[in-house]
Amino acid sequence: MTTIAPEKVEVGKSLLGESVPRKEDRRLTQGQGVFVDDIKRHGMGYLHFVRSPYAHAHITSIDVSKAEEIKGVYGTLTGEEVASLTDPFFQIASEPGGRIKDFSLAVGKVRFVGEPIVAVVAETRELARDASELVEVEYEPLDALVDARHALETDAPVLHDDAGGNLMWEGVYEWGDLDQAFAEADQVIKIDELHFHRFNSTPLECGGALVEYNRGTGQWTIHTNNQFPGFAAIMMGPAMRCGLDKLRFVTQDIGGGFGNKITSHPQLVTCCLLSRKLNRPIQWTEWRTDFHMSMSHGNERWFRDTEVAVKDDGTLLGFRTKALDDAGAWLRYEPLGGVIWAQVTPGMYRWRHIRVDFTQVATNKAPVSPNRGYSRMQHLWFTERVIDIVARELGLDPVDVRKRNYIRTEDMPYETPNGCIYDSGDYARMLDIALDLIGWDSMGEKRRDAESRGKRLGVGIGSTLDSGTNNFGQSRMINPELQFSGNNEVATVKLDIFGEIVVTLGTTPQGQGHETTASQVVAEILNCSLDDVHVRAGHDSYWNSHAGFSGTYASQFAVTGLSAVKGATEMLREEIKKLASVIFGGVPVEALELAEGGVRIKDNPEAFLPFMACGAIINANNAGLPEDLGVTLNCRYVYRPPFEVPDIERKFGNLTLTYAAQIHVAVVEVDPETGYYDIVDYAAVDDCGKRINPQIVEGQVMGATAQAIGAVMHETFEYDEDGNLLTPNFYDYHVPHALDMPPLHTGAIESPSPFTPLGTKGMGEGGGAGIHAVCAAIQDATGKIVTDSHNPYHRVWELMR
Amino acid sequence: MNVAVTVNGTVYERDVEARKLLIHFLRDDIDLTGSHIGCDTGNCGACSVILDGTLVKSCMVLAVQANGSKVETVEGLADGEQLTALQQAFTDHHALQCGYCTPGMLMSATSLLRSNPSPSDEEIRKALQGNICRCTGYWNIFEAVKSVAR
Amino acid sequence: MLLREVEYVKPSSIAEALTNLAANDGARALAGGQTLINVMKARAASPDVLVDLSGLEELKGIELGSDGTLSIGPMTTYTELMDSAEARARPILGEVCSKIADVQVRNRGTIGGNLCANDPTNHLPPLMAAIGAELTITGAGGERTVPASDFFLGVYMTAVGQTELLTRITIPAGKHDGFAAVTLGVDGTCIVNAAASMNGSLRIAIGCVDAVPVLIEVESPDTVRAAVRAAALHPPDDVHASSEYRAHLAEVLAERAARQAVGE
Repeated sequence: MTTIAPEKVEVGKSLLGESVPRKEDRRLTQGQGVFVDDIKRHGMGYLHFVRSPYAHAHITSIDVSKAEEIKGVYGTLTGEEVASLTDPFFQIASEPGGRIKDFSLAVGKVRFVGEPIVAVVAETRELARDASELVEVEYEPLDALVDARHALETDAPVLHDDAGGNLMWEGVYEWGDLDQAFAEADQVIKIDELHFHRFNSTPLECGGALVEYNRGTGQWTIHTNNQFPGFAAIMMGPAMRCGLDKLRFVTQDIGGGFGNKITSHPQLVTCCLLSRKLNRPIQWTEWRTDFHMSMSHGNERWFRDTEVAVKDDGTLLGFRTKALDDAGAWLRYEPLGGVIWAQVTPGMYRWRHIRVDFTQVATNKAPVSPNRGYSRMQHLWFTERVIDIVARELGLDPVDVRKRNYIRTEDMPYETPNGCIYDSGDYARMLDIALDLIGWDSMGEKRRDAESRGKRLGVGIGSTLDSGTNNFGQSRMINPELQFSGNNEVATVKLDIFGEIVVTLGTTPQGQGHETTASQVVAEILNCSLDDVHVRAGHDSYWNSHAGFSGTYASQFAVTGLSAVKGATEMLREEIKKLASVIFGGVPVEALELAEGGVRIKDNPEAFLPFMACGAIINANNAGLPEDLGVTLNCRYVYRPPFEVPDIERKFGNLTLTYAAQIHVAVVEVDPETGYYDIVDYAAVDDCGKRINPQIVEGQVMGATAQAIGAVMHETFEYDEDGNLLTPNFYDYHVPHALDMPPLHTGAIESPSPFTPLGTKGMGEGGGAGIHAVCAAIQDATGKIVTDSHNPYHRVWELMR
Repeated sequence: MNVAVTVNGTVYERDVEARKLLIHFLRDDIDLTGSHIGCDTGNCGACSVILDGTLVKSCMVLAVQANGSKVETVEGLADGEQLTALQQAFTDHHALQCGYCTPGMLMSATSLLRSNPSPSDEEIRKALQGNICRCTGYWNIFEAVKSVAR
Repeated sequence: MLLREVEYVKPSSIAEALTNLAANDGARALAGGQTLINVMKARAASPDVLVDLSGLEELKGIELGSDGTLSIGPMTTYTELMDSAEARARPILGEVCSKIADVQVRNRGTIGGNLCANDPTNHLPPLMAAIGAELTITGAGGERTVPASDFFLGVYMTAVGQTELLTRITIPAGKHDGFAAVTLGVDGTCIVNAAASMNGSLRIAIGCVDAVPVLIEVESPDTVRAAVRAAALHPPDDVHASSEYRAHLAEVLAERAARQAVGE
């Protein structure tokens, strides 16, 4: 493993940019983390779901009596009860998807294998499962719709009668002048169909919750590993007919999320209803097979009838394509995927004329929801495929085509055809670094060496933009009636009675090390040691450190989270100075500075007030302080990024604040006889602006890379024609393990964002680049156009036949 | 059935059903929740423990089979506040992110280093093959183990 | 996770184990449990009684006879076999065992358990068939020995009856062996495997293409592909590979195993 890091500019000693060890690790390396399944309560009942064995069927009857008769079974909940106790979940979609009625358990009909129908609660986990086998459900099976390409055919089975068909949402995006672009083109490259497959990041910890109901206050406490409680609350409150303060979300350690833990609100509603019905805490553990069958698959997407307008020299003018997106059975976060891709409309390239006809349909498969690189990964895979296919068709070097078309560093900030502003970056330089890392100059020799061993070598480039900090106003392009826009995040920083600096975050980290990076920002501003800063582990909506968009998703912590921390800490710093000014007898605040765990007079460092004294004075020794002091030493700051509401008609506006970039290069060796291939070398170069903790950033790059390698080679959620998932466990869904990892070289440059308080950019989702790079490498090795994002050995063999 | 299992030096006597897996016994019956569950097919290794000196996945052992045995889990690694060199190396090399796989990963690496204090790079990879990590891509884990190898 | 209710007994002799098995139609022998317990988690199988063989010292150990014959106790774990000095007399055994699953599974999973499961994606059934292993089965009526080629009867089915136990695996002397596989990732779930052994003629067994290993005998590696084609395989079609791809791999891997066996 080699690493190229940017040159470090020493400007005094700063904690920002230091790879300090993580605060989280001490508990996690000792097995002392608290994950949701570790939490127990007296008298709790274990929940087990009865799940649908059919992809599509009417439920004609449900009989829970035999299950309820068993000693130790506390009770059950059926879809019918849910439909009377709750309202359907709010739908993000406009027409026609907005008309579907989604409840926490299936009502009247099942729409995918594994869909929860009945919940059974019992004294032990085993007994709950035993009893669930005694629930009698009768079905009237219906034809299943598995292939989205048939969803809109007149004889296709219809999932949601309320929607009048399987169309959930459609929209046309067009910018620039397509007619002109195609008229100017020397050539039009046509690509019939490209397919981005269904998979997700399979966090090692599956979903779960422990839900308690307080009968006296009517409030639920939801211990869970949901990674976006703000969204869950907005979904759950109206459905459960309660105010959001009745839903207290608590998380601590979360065993990976990657977006896949955003849409657990249906299961959480079921737990809430049962904790009230049975008057006891409800414990729900999702098992791996449950997770694979029912939780948050990534969006499967086809790009059809693509046409690309190009000049003979490889200059890209524009493209048009028809995107068909498979939402699965329910719209649990969708159809937001129908607009999120537009954050990165042109990829890294300067083409100005683009049209995408986007159509999203329902199928009898698990619902899709965000997965690391949500919706942008699909679109960027498409743009990268287009680049390599164009290069091949024109007989040009993919490196040259990229460099000819990259948005240049002097173009930054760059406004894309749809009004997004790329804040900063230097893609050509990143590519050069990546090519150096894999020894581009000696590739001819490596090719010959591989050939001498009967192998074919291929090199491929994959680029990803990791757009971060959403402008939620983009949701109005999906549904103009939605009243969301902008974004925000909250932090509180307080100086407690004995001088402890206590920080709370609105975020729900799942391994990103927020306790550590937040400490770095706080310690930097208060000029104290990292050990003096205590960041509370996890999220608790009772801490008042959250807002509507709080959570950990969509590459934004380094911007929203840390900017909130920065804002709150600066408020605290000013309050400390204000207090000290009074204590020091009216010394102006400008004459004060924070140092060594206290505040002092710059010209007279002997005059020193430790934080402990500050905390004690405000909290417990405050007689005689001026009435108008206005100091609480408990500061709450809401960071609000600078956004406007996008132009809905033109589908134009800035959709995300920052654009981190990743360029990966993969080198593969293919066995032409079997299609078996190895990644024999790999480079990942990252630019996420100012890095607060480079080691954590690099860790994100590595992890995302591994996920991409898994996705392109092995990981797929494939269904048979009856709608049965063929990869419901880690035996058939092969995620990369230690022996599967190629050699890795990482590199980084820093192009600070001009738009964020710390120059940071959100990052973490750049791994899609690995999928693009490996696809390109296989194309290079085999000489055949790669049209699918999933390339297991048999597909590579078929390509070469 | 009555079982007596010595876990990290303490004897736990419990009445368990024969069907109970050792991992559920550890997590639910004796509240040692450091060992985790990440799959239901014996693939992920998050539940790895050392049973009578041998590294096993505790989801493929019945609790009754551990009767009379000695089990070591992640909770038994550190000596009070003193982390083992391997635990410290995991921090130093950023070999964990969410930390969910970490207990099992540590047990596998601990078992490796006991039997082979100077493993090669390939031996390290081979020893960790049974432990899935979805966050790190493993590279930093290899580095951490390597740094402790003699 | 969460198995159905089951009884558990741990006999201290083969005779007692056979009695336990005979006492209940729903009794099943539990060897290392690395397959059976997973099947029980999925509730795809739910024995009434588990007869744990782990206390039977008679079923453990590896002996090397003066003629080079290996006698392997079925409760020997993969790791024990890999570490065994005796087993090195037939190096392919340790080589293939080291590719099975992972350390934890190899530490607990047993050779006998693997064979008796006859999961068509396992490596040992074709290996045993190719190298001419003989399996000793013990029941109430005494012992019988069957060649590996007759031992595997179908998916998850072997010649070992419900009231019997596999009690010995006998492997003749030899060292001209080969093995090749394509798996999901390195040493993951097997797509197709092939084992070969040269002993006068070349004996090749191909796995994952049928319910039982497919045996082929040829004179030289050069005729392997034709022989595999002549066998007219109809391998299963699943999410990992088409039937056609498996049939193709069968040819390629059989030839590779054969070439390794003859030292090419």
